[in-house]
Amino acid sequence: MANRGRSPKQRPVARVAATKASRPARRGREPDVTEADPTLFDPLTPGEVADALRTLTEDRRLGSMAKVGRYRIICAEPLVVKPPHWMAGHRLARVVAYDYSTDRAVDACIDLDAGVVAHLELSRGQPMLSRDEEELAIQVAMADDRVRDKLALGDMPQMTMHYWGRNPQDIAFARRSAAVVFGRDANHSTLVAVVDLLDNLVTQVVPAELW
Amino acid sequence: MSNLIEEANWKFHWRLTESAGIMIYLADFRGHRVLWEGSMPYVTIDHQHETLDVEQDGAETHGPWWVPLGTRSLQGPVRVQSFRGGVELSASFEAGPYHYTQLWRFHDDGRICPWLTIYGPGVHDQHTYHPHWRFDFDLDGARGDAFERFEDSRWQRVETEGWFPYGGEADEGGNVWRQVDFGSGAAINIRPHSWDDAEVFAIRYHDGEWAPFSPRNAAGSATFPAAYVGDEPLDGDDLTLWYVAHVHFDQSFPYTAGPWIRVEGLA
Repeated sequence: MANRGRSPKQRPVARVAATKASRPARRGREPDVTEADPTLFDPLTPGEVADALRTLTEDRRLGSMAKVGRYRIICAEPLVVKPPHWMAGHRLARVVAYDYSTDRAVDACIDLDAGVVAHLELSRGQPMLSRDEEELAIQVAMADDRVRDKLALGDMPQMTMHYWGRNPQDIAFARRSAAVVFGRDANHSTLVAVVDLLDNLVTQVVPAELW
Repeated sequence: MSNLIEEANWKFHWRLTESAGIMIYLADFRGHRVLWEGSMPYVTIDHQHETLDVEQDGAETHGPWWVPLGTRSLQGPVRVQSFRGGVELSASFEAGPYHYTQLWRFHDDGRICPWLTIYGPGVHDQHTYHPHWRFDFDLDGARGDAFERFEDSRWQRVETEGWFPYGGEADEGGNVWRQVDFGSGAAINIRPHSWDDAEVFAIRYHDGEWAPFSPRNAAGSATFPAAYVGDEPLDGDDLTLWYVAHVHFDQSFPYTAGPWIRVEGLA
């Protein structure tokens, strides 16, 4: 298992030492792993999410992304690092976004105590779909004539899956894609429509039994 | 409902994540730290085709897909229930024709059962589920750990990161992999379900290398967690283990995947 798309040397938080002096941890003593503060794992409050997103979009490294405004916030969740890392004990947010203007995933660690982007990684990885993207994929699929022609009375969108192709001939191999599954009820699927989220186009329409 | 549970010799916290199901964190058994964090980052699904063409037997023409198990797919509340000899958390998730119940069961003798019951018909019969669990065990502290697998009739130390499929050999307790702590001599034993076709990825722990919100890497690259595997040494360090099951759908579903985990050697 030597194949690895991402070098393990690109370890995320280890590359943030430049921001270390920005503000001390909110606790004076660095905790041991057995004395970790469980509140650091608590879900982010709406205010913390807003704080994290403001900090992220004001970072000059993402100036272009923020200016163009073709990005989706995928997720913002708490991140807790272990001692002896210097950020252990800090309140951290991990924010994942997808920038459609550059076709890149944005993976950031925001130190909410210090008010800085402590780590930023841009990659060709594909994070999960945001809820907005799931809804958009349904709208694109429903508007496509090939899909509408194949839908039977009572067929409705059942779910939107994050999908990627297996071989390079498949458009979804390299492009951000969703698969919208239609059916008459939760236990009977009838049709799958693959949506290219970069161009908002349906690229495949497949009867569910042939998927 | 409090997210701290103290029962059956266990003390642990839990929370519902956006994409990795119920996460357990800071779990102690009899006052000793066992787990920093455990979760189920993703369940991917592959589809196969029935064909009469010998050269394309069971061909997979489409790639995998997945949907996060978390707040958006949760059906009803997360349940906390006591049972004879332990306590369990359970939550149901649904995405169209895919239905799951995630379970975390904690027994008073030191066993943990992180399980996933899979049911629902899928879009057709020919499909395979790949639930992934991620465990960051901190046995009596984070460092000073090692990873071993049972092979050639004995436990063998694994020096570097890697992928370790179940090859059919197990100790007398059915355990195939274990993480041992040098200081305390305690161990975490992992016993796969016989029908899981399971494998374990053993990776050196790095801060921030947490649920990547997708198994999908760049086009043409290995998916996660395989993409995390390099050649870093494991011995004496802090480890992260991924348990991956491969479960083909059949008419006898529902099926409950996942390992038995037993903490051993903590006073």
